[in-house]
This record gives sequence, structure tokens and C-alpha cells, in this order.
Amino acid sequence: MKSFALVPILSAVLFAPLAEGQDMPLSQVLIEGEDWRVVSEGHGFTDGLCADAEGNVYFSDVKSGTAIYKVDAAGQVGEFVKDAAGISGLKWGPDGRIYACVARGRIVVAFDKDGKMTELAKEVQPNDLVVTHDGNLYFTMTGAKEIRRIDPEGKMTVVNAGTVTKPNGITLSPDQGTLAVSDHGGKHVWAFRIEADGTLAHPEGYMTMRTPVADPEIAKGDGMTTDAYGRWYVTTAMGLQMFDPTGRMGGVIAKPQDANLVSCCFGGPNLEYLYAACGDKVYRRKTKSHGILSFQPPRKAEAMPK
Amino acid sequence: MRFPLWSFLSFAVALGAVQAQDDYKPGPDAERKEGVPQGTVTQSKWTSKIFDGTERDLWVYVPAQYDGSKPACVMVFFDGGGFVAEKGAFRVPIVFDNLIHAGEMPVTIGIFVNPGVVPPAKEGQEGRKNRSFEYDTLSDQNARFLLEEILPEVGKNHKLTENPDGRAVCGNSSGGIAAFTVAWERPDAFRKVVSHIGSFTNIRGGHVYPALIRKTDPKPLRVFLQDGENDLDNLHGNWPLANRQMDAALTFAKYDHKLVVGTGGHSGRHGGAIFPDTLRWLWRDWKTITP
Repeated sequence: MKSFALVPILSAVLFAPLAEGQDMPLSQVLIEGEDWRVVSEGHGFTDGLCADAEGNVYFSDVKSGTAIYKVDAAGQVGEFVKDAAGISGLKWGPDGRIYACVARGRIVVAFDKDGKMTELAKEVQPNDLVVTHDGNLYFTMTGAKEIRRIDPEGKMTVVNAGTVTKPNGITLSPDQGTLAVSDHGGKHVWAFRIEADGTLAHPEGYMTMRTPVADPEIAKGDGMTTDAYGRWYVTTAMGLQMFDPTGRMGGVIAKPQDANLVSCCFGGPNLEYLYAACGDKVYRRKTKSHGILSFQPPRKAEAMPK
Repeated sequence: MRFPLWSFLSFAVALGAVQAQDDYKPGPDAERKEGVPQGTVTQSKWTSKIFDGTERDLWVYVPAQYDGSKPACVMVFFDGGGFVAEKGAFRVPIVFDNLIHAGEMPVTIGIFVNPGVVPPAKEGQEGRKNRSFEYDTLSDQNARFLLEEILPEVGKNHKLTENPDGRAVCGNSSGGIAAFTVAWERPDAFRKVVSHIGSFTNIRGGHVYPALIRKTDPKPLRVFLQDGENDLDNLHGNWPLANRQMDAALTFAKYDHKLVVGTGGHSGRHGGAIFPDTLRWLWRDWKTITP
């Protein structure tokens, strides 16, 4: 029995870098027999998925929607905020407000719990956003190749310009130290370090997305989310691509239907369901993983269960 | 009851068998010998611009026989911390001392480089681990990192040969494919490769090398590959098959190369046990190399 105990300890000491690269295949996330199920249908172009602490899920319809929609625990879909058209990105903030990129109105706004809207930035071209626990809002301006920040005092600055061809989806590592931005006009998801002052540093094309054979340089990276284990998820032309915390491709989850897959999030009970906005519908599927919420305090990535 | 008992027993037997097959140990060339002069190892830290913002540990081994009168050969090790440890599977400083003393390899400066981490900006954060990006990516970025940052830094205090035949790169797993990538991208600068349990699999596209090798004008490289029959088979690929594909492609394209397949798994034990012989093979004609 001695060698059984000793060998793993020795290899952990001598080959720590090898042990670091734990494999994270799709089978750790997907449940056999569980497929995408329609949550909501009859929309124009669904987008903007995000969840709250109770697992309620919110989404928009950029093309023909008039409201922010809410999917509750029972799966009932209703209007959460009326008179909110043309939204392409949604996230809850630490102050209990829901923040939105209003692409059509070229504004970034916040809605309080009564639905009262406050304008945070105007004459911008916002696509998608994330809000940190300390109240920094980062949003992408896809056409302008910019990432902007609105700090807790409401001041807007350009925190990156020109690194990403078409910055689109945006998410955080569980510890909120790394910001990830997907490229709609290239094939990388870029990682940035968030500095103590909220600026961005050290960009790197950390993840390489799978691309269509006919368009090998353009993955159409779009909406992103992160799970509690630090895995990254990004919607693309090829499907929902998953990467491990060190940026290695774990696999591509098939699209629910042949339409534009542009947004994803974890939501539902215990945040165990992966939601996808794909064309005229919103779908979800149960997973073995669970999500995190960026308005909550930063945390270390959970260790993978044995 | 019969089925669970049977499956438990066979699992236990299989586990024991795999571990017995990986029972490789460092040999006498990896032990200190009386009368063999010892080189020095100096540790430092490096902050990179090419891997922007990354920090890492770096160790430089200088053999006792190096006197600065002429340039030394160079051998770079990825995941350097594991290779430089005197109690590890490789014990490179001891093996170098012994083989240089015996005239079985040239006076060689060992450069042991760890993978980079973008350190956290705030306390309590984990930082960005850059190992996979640096090692698994098929590009010249890691070669440029060595040629434009690490070699010039080490070269400030030591004369390093400019002759690519006198410069080797070594690594395990992703560090193994990284060693090959450096020489593949820059054969003008590095021509000797040692890969143990090399990840010539699809972590970040590295499975294409056998195909590239077969359809590329051969490069003047000397490549040593080691793998184990029980190495990984996972979402990225099958390591034993991938290394055999590399071997077959290198044979097809008439490269100076060698594959040694053991019975181990994804560990450095076998590569470490045979490492002195690997160095003898790699440097077998070192006396013909102009420093």
C-alpha cells in the first residue's frame, strides 16, 4: 500500500505543472440525455441574457422587443421592464439595478426596481456589458473597436481601443481580476488584467475559437459567460464554445437551432441551467456545472469535483 | 454482489499494473560523484514584454568548466523549475556536471524557464496562468521570447554560442511541443529538440505537426521524442498515437530523430531515467560543432 500513497504525492511535487492542466471535457458540463429546451419563442432576435441571485433570467429582443423579459423559477415568461426596446446587453449591478446597452438608442442605462430609467452614457454604440462587484461597468463598442468603462461615480473612459477587431461579448473571471472580451471579427477571446484603478492591461489572445471552414479567420465571437469553476463560454458561428480556465478549448456545444446564437448565461435553480439566446427563441439545458454572478463578491474558482 | 466485487478487483489490479509500469528511477548519472566539479545555479525573476505583463522564475546553470574564453553551448528547459531540481526526475545540473566532466556533451549553459503568470493586480486574486498559451500555441512568439529576451539577458554575463547546432530546447508535455515549436519556427537559432510525453495533440492545434512535417521542406533539426504506452487519451487527443505520428512523419521527411516509447503514463519518470542517454544521443557529435 505504501507505493500507492507515495507515488501520487511525489508526482504532485515533481510534476506540478503537469497536474495544473486538468482536463475539462464537455462531459463535465453536459448531462447525457439533456438537450436544449425552448424557454420562450415568437421573438425577433433574442439577446442580453443575464440572471439574478434567485436564478430568474432576463433577456431582450433587439429586433422587435419592447421590454426586458423575465423568466421566473417556474419558467413563466413576462415583461419585467416595459418600454425598453432595442437592448443588446443586460447585467445586474451590485446596487440592485439592472444595467442595459440600448444599441438602438445609443445609450447605456440602468433601471431601478420600479423600472425607472437612468441614463449613464449617451452617443455611444454599446453592444454588451458586465458590471463588477465594486461597481465598475465595462461595455463593448463593437464598431469602434473600443472597450469603455463607467466607474462608480459615473465617469466614462475608453479603457482599450484597437486591440480587438470587433469587441463583442464580455465577462469576468470568478476572482474578477481578468476581463475577457470576444472578437466578432476575429478568432480570439482576449484576456485583460483589470488594474487596481479599473483600467485594463496586458491584453492577450488567450483563447482561440473554432471557426467555420469557409471563414477560417472569423469565429463571430459574441455573448459570454463564466462558470464557478472558471470555465469560459462564448457564443459563436460554430456553436457555444467552452474553454477551461487556462484558455484551452474544452469543446463546442451545438446550437439549439440554425440561427444566430448571440448570448448565454447560467440561470435557473442554483444557476445550474445554461441559457442560450438563438434567433427567435430562448433555450435552456440543465448542466453539471453552475454559474456565478459578477455583481456578487469576487471568489476563487471552485476546484473540480472528483 | 458479484459484479461490483469483480470490477473493484480488476480496477485495483489495473491500478497496480499501471504504477508498476511507471517505476522508472534516475540512474547513477543523476547522482553526485566524487571528483566531478559542480556547476553553479543562479535563480532570478523575469518580467516579459513579448508575453506582456507575465512574470516567471528563471534559473541559469553554468558548468564549472566554463571559463568565458569561448562561447558555451545552450540548452533551454521549459517548466524549468522541475528540471533544475536536484531531487526531481531529471536532476539536470547533476547530469550535466557528470556528462560534461566525462566529455560526453559540450560545456553547456542550462537555462531553466518557468511558464509565465500575469500576476494579480489585487490581493486575493489568482492571476492569469499563461503556460498553455505560451507552450501549446503554434507560433513564433515563444521563440522570440527566448531570442529577444532570455538569451540576451543570460548573454549579458555569459558567452553563448550563436551556432544553432549548439543550441537545444527541452520540455515535458506542453513544454515538449513548445520545444519542438521553437526549433520548427527558428531553425536558424535552435536545432536540437528533446520532448518527453510531448503534447502533439489538439490542445491548441498541435496535432497538425505530423502533416506539416511531411509537406514542408525538411528543416535541419535533431529531434528526440519520448512517450509512454499509458500516456493520456483525452479530449485533446491520444499522446502515444500522436508521438508515433510525429515519429512516422519525421522518418518520412528524413529527419535525424529518435522515438523511445516506455510503459509509463503522463509523467517525467521515464524521460528522467533515460535522460543521460538522451543527452549522449543529442550531443553525440558535439566536438564537430563550432562554438
